[in-house]
Amino acid sequence: MAHVEVIDPNDPGKPNRPDTYGETNRDILRVLLKPSVGYMLGVLLAFTGMVIGGWSWYQQITWGMGVAGITHPTMWGVYIVTFVFWVGIGHAGTLISAILYLVRSKWRTGVYRASEAMTVFAVMTALLFPVLHLGRCWQAYWFFPYPNQRQLWLNFKSPLMWDVFAISTYFTVSVVFFYVGLIPDIAAFRDHSRGLVRKFYGVLALGWRGTHRQWYHYMAAYGFFAAFAAPLVLSVHSVVSWDFAMAPTPGWHSTIFPPYFVAGAIFSGCAMVISLLMPMSYLFDWHKYVNTWHYENLAKMCMLTSGILTYAYGMEYFVSWYSQNPYEQNIFLWRATPTAAYGWAFYLMVFCNCIAPLAWYSKKLRTNHISLFIVAAIVNVGMWFERFNIIVSSLAHNFDPATWWYYWPSYIEWGVLIGSTGWFFFWFLLFAKSFPAIALTEIKEMVEPPVKGSV
Amino acid sequence: MDRRSFLKALGVGGGASALAACGLDDNQYYTPVEEVLPYVARPEQVTPGTNSYFATTVGSGPNAWPATAVHRDGRVINVGANRAAPWAGAVPQSALFELQRHFSPDRLTSPTKGGQPVEWTAAVDELATAVKQARTNGKKVVWLGPYRSGALGELLDTFTDGNAIHFEALGREAESKAAQQVFGSPVLPRYDLSKAHYVLSFGASFLSDAWGGPGEQSNYAKARNANHGGYVARFAAVTPMRDQTGANADDWFACKPGSEAQVAMAIAKLVAKKTGKGGPAARAVASADVNAAAAASGLTAEHLTEIAEHFAHGHAVALPGGIVGASANAVELAAATYLLNLVGGSRDTFMGGGYPGKVHGYDDVQKLMAAMKAGQVGVLLVDDADVVHNLPNGADFAAAMGSVPLTVAVTSHPNETTAKASMVLPTHSVFEDWGVEEPVANVYLVRQPGQVPLHGTMGLGDLLLKAWSKAGMGPATSFQAFVKTYLAAKVYAPTPEPIEGEELPAPAPDGEEAPADPTTTQAFARWFEGILQAGVAAPRRMRPVVLTAVGGVTGGKAEPAGSGDKYLIAFPHPHLLDGRYANQPWAQEQPDPMSGQVWDTWALVHPTTAAALGVSDNDTVSITTASGTLELGVEIHPCVHPDVIAVPTGGGHTRATGRYADAVGKNVATVLPAEAAAGGTQVWQSKVSVSKGSGQADLVSTFGHDDERDRGWVAFCSADEFAKKKDEPAPHPGEMTGIHHLELDERLQEKGIQGFYPIPDHPTYRFGLTVDTNLCTGCGACSVACYAENNLPVVGKHKVKEGREMSWIRINRYYKQDAGITKDHGVEGDVSVHFTPLMCQHCGHAPCESVCPVLATYHSIDGLNAMVYNRCAGTRYCSNACPYSARKFNYHTYVWPEPFNLQLNPDVVSRTMGVMEKCTFCVQRLRRTKSAYRDQGFKKTIPSEALEQLVACAEACPSQALTFGNIVDEASAPNFTRKSGRNFIPIADISTYPAVNYLAKASFYFQPGHHGGGGGGDHADEGGHADEGHGGKPTDAHGAEKSHEPAHDEH
Repeated sequence: MAHVEVIDPNDPGKPNRPDTYGETNRDILRVLLKPSVGYMLGVLLAFTGMVIGGWSWYQQITWGMGVAGITHPTMWGVYIVTFVFWVGIGHAGTLISAILYLVRSKWRTGVYRASEAMTVFAVMTALLFPVLHLGRCWQAYWFFPYPNQRQLWLNFKSPLMWDVFAISTYFTVSVVFFYVGLIPDIAAFRDHSRGLVRKFYGVLALGWRGTHRQWYHYMAAYGFFAAFAAPLVLSVHSVVSWDFAMAPTPGWHSTIFPPYFVAGAIFSGCAMVISLLMPMSYLFDWHKYVNTWHYENLAKMCMLTSGILTYAYGMEYFVSWYSQNPYEQNIFLWRATPTAAYGWAFYLMVFCNCIAPLAWYSKKLRTNHISLFIVAAIVNVGMWFERFNIIVSSLAHNFDPATWWYYWPSYIEWGVLIGSTGWFFFWFLLFAKSFPAIALTEIKEMVEPPVKGSV
Repeated sequence: MDRRSFLKALGVGGGASALAACGLDDNQYYTPVEEVLPYVARPEQVTPGTNSYFATTVGSGPNAWPATAVHRDGRVINVGANRAAPWAGAVPQSALFELQRHFSPDRLTSPTKGGQPVEWTAAVDELATAVKQARTNGKKVVWLGPYRSGALGELLDTFTDGNAIHFEALGREAESKAAQQVFGSPVLPRYDLSKAHYVLSFGASFLSDAWGGPGEQSNYAKARNANHGGYVARFAAVTPMRDQTGANADDWFACKPGSEAQVAMAIAKLVAKKTGKGGPAARAVASADVNAAAAASGLTAEHLTEIAEHFAHGHAVALPGGIVGASANAVELAAATYLLNLVGGSRDTFMGGGYPGKVHGYDDVQKLMAAMKAGQVGVLLVDDADVVHNLPNGADFAAAMGSVPLTVAVTSHPNETTAKASMVLPTHSVFEDWGVEEPVANVYLVRQPGQVPLHGTMGLGDLLLKAWSKAGMGPATSFQAFVKTYLAAKVYAPTPEPIEGEELPAPAPDGEEAPADPTTTQAFARWFEGILQAGVAAPRRMRPVVLTAVGGVTGGKAEPAGSGDKYLIAFPHPHLLDGRYANQPWAQEQPDPMSGQVWDTWALVHPTTAAALGVSDNDTVSITTASGTLELGVEIHPCVHPDVIAVPTGGGHTRATGRYADAVGKNVATVLPAEAAAGGTQVWQSKVSVSKGSGQADLVSTFGHDDERDRGWVAFCSADEFAKKKDEPAPHPGEMTGIHHLELDERLQEKGIQGFYPIPDHPTYRFGLTVDTNLCTGCGACSVACYAENNLPVVGKHKVKEGREMSWIRINRYYKQDAGITKDHGVEGDVSVHFTPLMCQHCGHAPCESVCPVLATYHSIDGLNAMVYNRCAGTRYCSNACPYSARKFNYHTYVWPEPFNLQLNPDVVSRTMGVMEKCTFCVQRLRRTKSAYRDQGFKKTIPSEALEQLVACAEACPSQALTFGNIVDEASAPNFTRKSGRNFIPIADISTYPAVNYLAKASFYFQPGHHGGGGGGDHADEGGHADEGHGGKPTDAHGAEKSHEPAHDEH
């Protein structure tokens, strides 16, 4: 029998590498079998979340934004916090699939497909919020520049407008890149299915036959899209950060925001990839494909970005002191006052984003699945609260002390938050069960080429 | 059929069915077919779709106020200022509350008896019979109501045979009784605050509608305003608490309740000594003991000497107590202030000839109650005086009403008292009725209907006249005719009164023989027409009537009744007053100027007292008197004496008053003593024991933080310095506190670069507003006027708690506690109170405009920060970006219950949910005015005078603190004030180039060069450069702020 070779010199040498193409096919295609009870419960849970979210949104559309907790002067709350959170989550997927592809990082192979799927669904989730948070969401189409009989045009000076372009571009490119990567694998699914399902995959496979010529064009296209998607990792979250940095609001009006947001996005995204892949790997028994090697690399990414974030948090304080701007000083001092309205959120954020990831500096904890999962979950919570701190506390302590007023989300907003999480997991679970969540073809590239009699 | 015929048939048939379909559209949203038809008989004085203005009078008695009813398509939609009237044009908020009352859904709409509807004729018959019967049986016919002067006052006297009781809970009874005591006549004296250099108040709320009416506020503003004066009036308050009026005081002498009369006497003695005046007044005060007064009041003799020194300078005026000073010796206090005014020799500020109508006291009402119980009253007519609610023994009154054979409610709006009446005869509102009021002797304000009655009501005058003639006691005549006859007798052809040296006006036009009834003549009709247009008729020049004392006063300290170590003081609610406006949502939702409280009754507690009681904001305290216990939420407040718990009046109504007043707040009158004070007045104070209550209250305040943290939201300048310079457009020696302007880099300045972005181009107009914070008293009239003009919804207590009030004008109340601005007198830790009305600043570089993705808000060529509601999708980004937090969001679609919807201004759209809104500078009025001037010659710009009070807030402001205008016009008023050394822009370092500028408040303590905490603060700017944003008109580099303090501690 063929001996399992260590393909990557950096690979700590996992013996559980798939042996053959056939084995790889069997492992990945296993997802098409009858779903387990656990999986169905997961789908049901996600769907219930969606129903809760839908009901909440229905209430909001019927009665107006007043059912949400937003208040004067804190006009943005959980919706925008969660919007930024999900956009940020998306970034790790593109980073892993595009940038790591371009730099030929081998460990990406096992995780990139699921991360890309995460990107697409995270952006889909994020896209809900700009619509959801509108006072008149039925007018959302006004945000697209199209010639209309009302002779109205858009304000291209507005960061929200830039957002529309940034996010829609990001979504389009992510979907296309994702889909292009999927084509050979869908063809494999097609080849292993029958009846209507085969037709379904057949249409999606776009006539992929795996010919040399197809592979030649495919690889060129994939490289092109990877190069196209790579800058978006930096640009999209920079634009999102401008939603805040471009307004004069103290606590927002800062040039540090773009790199700070990008680092935060990658941080939260990598943590989310750990949070998603680890259960999936256990569920489908894919330890051969996704294992400690990958988790450790993702954890290292988190450690780097956590350091950048910690530096950015500190730098905000330095700048507010150094600028002697009273509004900035107030906002940052107040935010960090333990007894202040949102003091707890600040310290929660510092703990989750700056302190908890320090655990991973220990190799033992970095390679332990339980500690990996716990810290990744903590980071996810922390990154949500980072956006909460930036958005809510800055607005609550605006320029005029006479207007200072505190926001707390209403049950409708919590409902929508649950709904959006349900929406994300609903799509992700459906995907994991009907598409190759691990890149079949790329894994095969790592398997020793078949020799006669080995199958 | 060939092909051609088929196509023809198809064409004709298809076209025909398409046409038919247009008309047969059963879609409910299809625009209905409307036909425009001219009136066959056009209503007089009204053009459909445009406003008509009717000069009229709102309020009654001493609070009658000239105004214009703005009529539109059959209804009064607003109340405007009447500039033809003797006082400066303004719209007090109570006039607007009257408007909302007129459209109240709880109004009494048709006559009822015992709850069953009756016909008007039957009701009038019954009243006539009852009156006649009472007269024959020797029983009294009594009318009980608020102060009614003029024609109605006269008619009431006739109808009741002198048994009309004019009583108001927040009334002037003490002053009237004191006038009787000191001057031998119950006619109230008159104050002219416009000439005062020093105003000493013992608690009168003269800067609100609760005392004296807005005329006092306008006049005070004239004295306070140094733009034209050369001096700044100084205002000192000797009171146990500062209400909204007291908040404006430059010096607060915190005295103990009950000691005011003694203090006033002591000051009078010191003043008499200084001025060396003799006479009866000086003799009357000679017995006062300064040291005893100081000891009783908790002040020092130096404090009293300080006041006396200011007072003796002349042009001073002392004002009596109102209800804050209405302790056990309110009459003594009023008498003492009269004597003080007399010895101070302030003849230009204090004179006779004030309100000439009847002023009855609490003792009169108690006597009436006794008579009712004894069965001496045959008919009781209850007008708009809610005695059941306002008297401490209101329940007794309600019971006594049962002993009267016929009790008739003759009001337009229900209350707890009308609910006890056996018959309800609803009367017209002030906007439907005729009338003449005489707020000051010999000044007649005319009331005329602004619209036809909304409901099946009858004017009170008409009702009385009808019943009168039914009873066979007089001729059948209408009240309108009665008003004409009254005016003819008083003004048109008065019976000459022989007054030495007084020139009487020509009684009638030349050549006409004065007929027996002058009202039938053509000349009178013309004259009356003119009077109706002006809204005011004054037969002769108002000559000051010099007062001399004929009686004295003992002037001792009177401890309020009751037991306990604290004092309960009821103070007039600045909006609800005695509770009469409790069912007006505008009044309930208007934040209390001092605490921001809405829709409730609260207890003001001094911080040290709160600490001793162990309570904090929104905890409850139990206030116990002999009459009962009141549990109220706490508002910790530095502006009360530590021994005082202050509670506003006007809360705690039942459903009888209406749906909005129902169970809102608590009624403080219920725990006050029912016994009249020594002088026969109602007592609004009591000694109480206070303890911490159980649980939390549900107080809702619109205010955030009290301290503006030296961010430049407020500014003070030296009153003395700026008075000398008369606010001239020149570099000013009186620099200001608290203002920071970050300077641009020197290299940029050398190149003449003022800012990073170009200034928007304003070729013809840039509309702007100046807010003089020195004149603003925080009364809130601007905000209420804005509600009325711009269809602002009222959201209710629950939504205000969520921070969702819709007021476009937020009146920020800041406390400044600073040795350089305030001085403690008798109480530690006094603060300077600063009111700043904040509306949309219409910035030239508006942060809101650039962030709106759909261009729903943009900068107009006229300098307006325009807001297109239809275009708004509701991202709310503009509100987040606004440094002034001036934008309001429609969280819901608000509805106006009928008939409130009739008040909506048709020129302003009512917004639906999801849309942002904010101050528009009353763009609808601007459009109207611009169109009018364009019609006059197209090229003309609107002259400055036509703009100054154009916007609703500026029109309403009783102090004229708001001045509107075109900044492009060099001669405009805002342009003038912009050059003043007092001009400042809040948080100017944000560089938004706003169209709203502010003028600094004058402080008598602030010395130029002093910077203790007031300025600099945590700013890093070097030099206070009063540059107008990027306006390119840096006035000067006054104020070299060099002192910087470390950053403030954050909480």
